[in-house]
Formats: sequence, C-alpha cells, structure tokens
Amino acid sequence: MIEAAVKAKAGSPALRRSTRRAILIWAFLAPSLLIFLLYRILPLLWNVVLSFEAWSPLKPAVFIGLDNYQEMLFDDDVFWQSLWNTLGLISSAPIGIALALGLALLVNSEIRGREVYRTTIFLSYPLMTVAVAIIWRWMFDERVGLINYVVRSLHLVDTPIPFLNSFTWALPCVIVANIWQMLGFYMVIILSGLQTIPRNLYEAAGIDGANAFHRFIRITVPLLKPSLFLCFVIGMLNSVTSFDLVYVMTGGGPGRATEILITYIYKLGFNQTRFDYAAAVTVTFFILLLGITYLANRLSGGNAGAVERD
Amino acid sequence: MRQKRTWPIHVALISVGAVMLLPFYWVLKTSISGDNIFTYPPSVIPRDPNPFYYVDVWYAIPFARYFLNSVIVSGMTIAANVVLNAMAGYALTQTFRGKTFVLLLFLSCMMIPFQATIIPAYLITGKLGLLDSYLGLSLPMFSTIICIFVYKASFDAVPRSLIDAARVDGLSQWTIIWRVMLPLARSATATNVILSFIWSWNNFMWPLIVTRTPEMQTLPLGLARFLSYQEDTTGALYAFCIMVLAPGLLLFLMAQREFVQGLSAGATKG
Repeated sequence: MIEAAVKAKAGSPALRRSTRRAILIWAFLAPSLLIFLLYRILPLLWNVVLSFEAWSPLKPAVFIGLDNYQEMLFDDDVFWQSLWNTLGLISSAPIGIALALGLALLVNSEIRGREVYRTTIFLSYPLMTVAVAIIWRWMFDERVGLINYVVRSLHLVDTPIPFLNSFTWALPCVIVANIWQMLGFYMVIILSGLQTIPRNLYEAAGIDGANAFHRFIRITVPLLKPSLFLCFVIGMLNSVTSFDLVYVMTGGGPGRATEILITYIYKLGFNQTRFDYAAAVTVTFFILLLGITYLANRLSGGNAGAVERD
Repeated sequence: MRQKRTWPIHVALISVGAVMLLPFYWVLKTSISGDNIFTYPPSVIPRDPNPFYYVDVWYAIPFARYFLNSVIVSGMTIAANVVLNAMAGYALTQTFRGKTFVLLLFLSCMMIPFQATIIPAYLITGKLGLLDSYLGLSLPMFSTIICIFVYKASFDAVPRSLIDAARVDGLSQWTIIWRVMLPLARSATATNVILSFIWSWNNFMWPLIVTRTPEMQTLPLGLARFLSYQEDTTGALYAFCIMVLAPGLLLFLMAQREFVQGLSAGATKG
C-alpha cells in the first residue's frame, strides 16, 4: 500500500493507472469478501469463542473453559445418539452411489430414449426438500401409504408397519428418501466421468479376451475413481446437512431415533436457547466434517472437489 | 456389443424410472381424489377426481403471500449473485497483489458449510437488525464461492487476443467487460441464475431461523407450517405440495440442459 502511495506520488501516469486498477479490483472483490467475512469467517470464530463460554442472550458471557465439551462428551446421550445417526446417514451414501453407478452404466449404453431415462431419474434432485419429505411421509404412512399397501398386498406382513414411528425403521426410511433424491445427481456425475473413458480401451481389452466383468473391474472402476469420490464427498455433505428432510419427515423422532447433529444443534439453539452449548456441538460437527472430507481426499489419492487453481 | 439385445436394459431402466416417479404419482393422486383419503385399500387410480383440495389450499393459507415472499427473496438472491459473483470472478482473472491470499480465503470458506454457522449467523443478523426482513433472508446467500469460480473460469476462457483487439479499437475497460466479457460468459450467468434460484427457492433452515411473523414466511416454511397443524389428515397438504413443486418442475423441464449442466458444475467445482 505504501509502495502504491509512493508510486502514485511519483506522478507518472502509467503508475497512477496501476493504482487505479488495484482499487478497482479490490472494489470488485469487496462485496463478496464482506459477505464471506460476515457469514462464514466471523461465525466460525464466534462459534469457537462461544463454545468456551456460558452465555445466553440476556446474561453476560462467562469463560468456563471446557465445561461445555465435558458435558457433551460425558453427560449427553442425545449428542452421542445424534453423532451415530449422522454417521449412519453418511455411510448410506455409498449405497446410493453404487445404485447410481449401475444406472449410469445402463443409461450410457446405446439405447433409444436414454435422454428420457436420464431426465426421469434426475427429476427428483432439484426439488424442494420439504416437499420431498412430505411426499415420503405419505409413502411411508401407516394406514394408506403406498409402501404398506404393497407389502400387505404381497402378504409380507399382516399388520401395517408404522415406519416413521418405529425406532427400527425411522432412520432407514429417512435414508431411502435421501437416496431417492440424490440418485439422479450421482448418476449424472458418474455419466460425465464415463464419457471421459476412451472407447478404444474397451476394444483393446476385448481383443485381449477380457470379459465384461473384467473390463468393468479393470477399466471402468479405476478410471471412474475421481467421479465416485466426488459423489461420496457431495453425498456426505448432503446427508449430514439434510436438516429439512429429517425435520419434516420425523422431527428427529420417535424419541431421538432420527436425531442428527444438525437438528440437535437447531433444537439446542432455538428451542432451548442454549446457544453456548449448541456452539460446542457445532464445533465438533465442523471438525467431524473436515476430518471426513480430508479422509475422502486422501483415499481418492487426489483432490476430489477441489477447484483448480490456475 | 451392438448386436446385443437391448430389451433387458429397457426393462431395468423403466422399472427404476417407475420407482422414481411413483412417489409423485401417489401424492398427485391423493391431491385430486374425491375419496376419503383414509379408505383401505387405497385406490391406485384417483376415484372421482376433482380440484377441491386446491381450492381449499387457496383459502386455507395465504398461498399468494408465501409465493410472493419466495419470489422476492429468490429474485434478490439471483440478482445479487449474478452481479457480485461476476465482479469477483472478473477481479480474480487479473493479477494483483494479495491474489493468492484471496484465493486461499475463498477456498477455505468453501469448507465451511453454512449449516455449521447458523447460531452466530443468527446472532449477527440480529445485531444488524435484519431479523424477519427480506434482506436478512437473502443476505447470507448474496454471493457464492462456487459461482465466483464458475465466472472466473468463463472469463479466463475469453481469448486474450480478443480483449487486446477491443482495447486497440479504443474500447474502455468497462465497455470491454459489458460488451465482450459478459456476453461470452452467458453460460456462467445461466449457471449462476439456476444455482442461486435452486438454493434460495428450496432453502428451509435459514428462513426457519430468521423469520418471526407469518407474513414473512416463504413457501417451504408455509408448507412445513401447514403440515404441523394439519398433520397428514387432509388432501389439501398434498395439493399444496404439488402447487409448490409445479413451478420448479416446469422450469426444470424447460431449461433441462442448463439445469443439469449448472447443477453438476456447481457440484464438481464445490
């Protein structure tokens, strides 16, 4: 800055133009930077500070060290329950991705109407999640839900299953709805990955006598690895942040059977006004996310989802 | 490979497609059925179809108000995203001191999901006095890092020779941005519009936290609220669902290619 000022004082028109250019560039960046500062950086730091304090909107903050974390780790069953549920939701992502991989292979074959199939399968992704949750509540309805109707017609069960009110079934139901919404999206990503695999690799392998299964294991899967890990990272982020789906489908119930960290944070903060404690849970949640993203990155051996820096 | 029969593939894809569409059908069927919705066994085709539930929705809830709020919030978000992201994306194509720092800052911000910031974000919005206002609802989404990079990539792809030629012709920097760069970055603009529309239109958690009065609620909130006092007992809920989904679906079917491109660009870059 000082340098720039000195240069400006020197008065050479070329240099003055470069200062003006710098001002323009920073003016262009300023609004976006301000928003990220206000809604990303500042909240993150505030969360960390808040998690070491005892504070509620009407009381002055008191530094209490690790008390919030201690309570969370040792005296809070709900926290652990929501942590396990969150991890359960994350680990369901590979199921959806495997399904999508199969679909992508089918859609990628040379058949008529593949555009229609692709659209049909992708259709659920851009939908409003609240509406998706209501749709699936209705599908899983105990009395007249389609799923109960089908299993009863097939005589798999005698009495209807109260899916969303059952401790065993509620979380799998949320997972089904989540996969249903994400499936087409995974498929599109895998499809674009498939299109980058050169066809002559398959022809060469065919000449060498590799059968379809070998071609799939030795060519398709290794070359698709970046797309698959990208799907995993997105699927993971999507499932841990699927507040709308859980909130509307089950509200975290029955009991705490479908409580995930993000709904728990919401309830702590806005139903119980325990902002300080919610902040401690948020910090843990954030560290968990970072850890898993890092792990996924390491496993994929590259930079899945990273933006190429020029 | 070519001479293989394709019907097994069609059968598999048609059945998956049916599974994907069935939930839509079930809800649509419920919303136009004249029957008591709790008759068992449920009929597979709508009996005595009529639009009464849709009329119910219109009178039971301030649908127009929710819709208007959603449109205003989405409109503000889209406009702000296009302008701010194009500006920031353009700035990032230039070389300047501190560029590495800005890039690093953006990349690390991308690692912070908005959901992990809600409590301080709520407190900040409160301090700014923006709770329960349109600006408060849309401000956190005014600029998105992914979309900035979409613009940057698009601007980077504009050939330097073209810009130089324009400069030689005596066009000012602004004219070059307006007349040369932006028209060439049209697909980036489409991506920006689509992504910010989807994110703001479907957003639920932030409006849930920020709005206080029913007058400020957006469509997803209205839907959840309707569910909370009607439970699953009325077809009107499903009619409401269809009414909420229809605009988005129509838009998607109309601009399908841009949607798929935009959404996967948004994801692969973020």
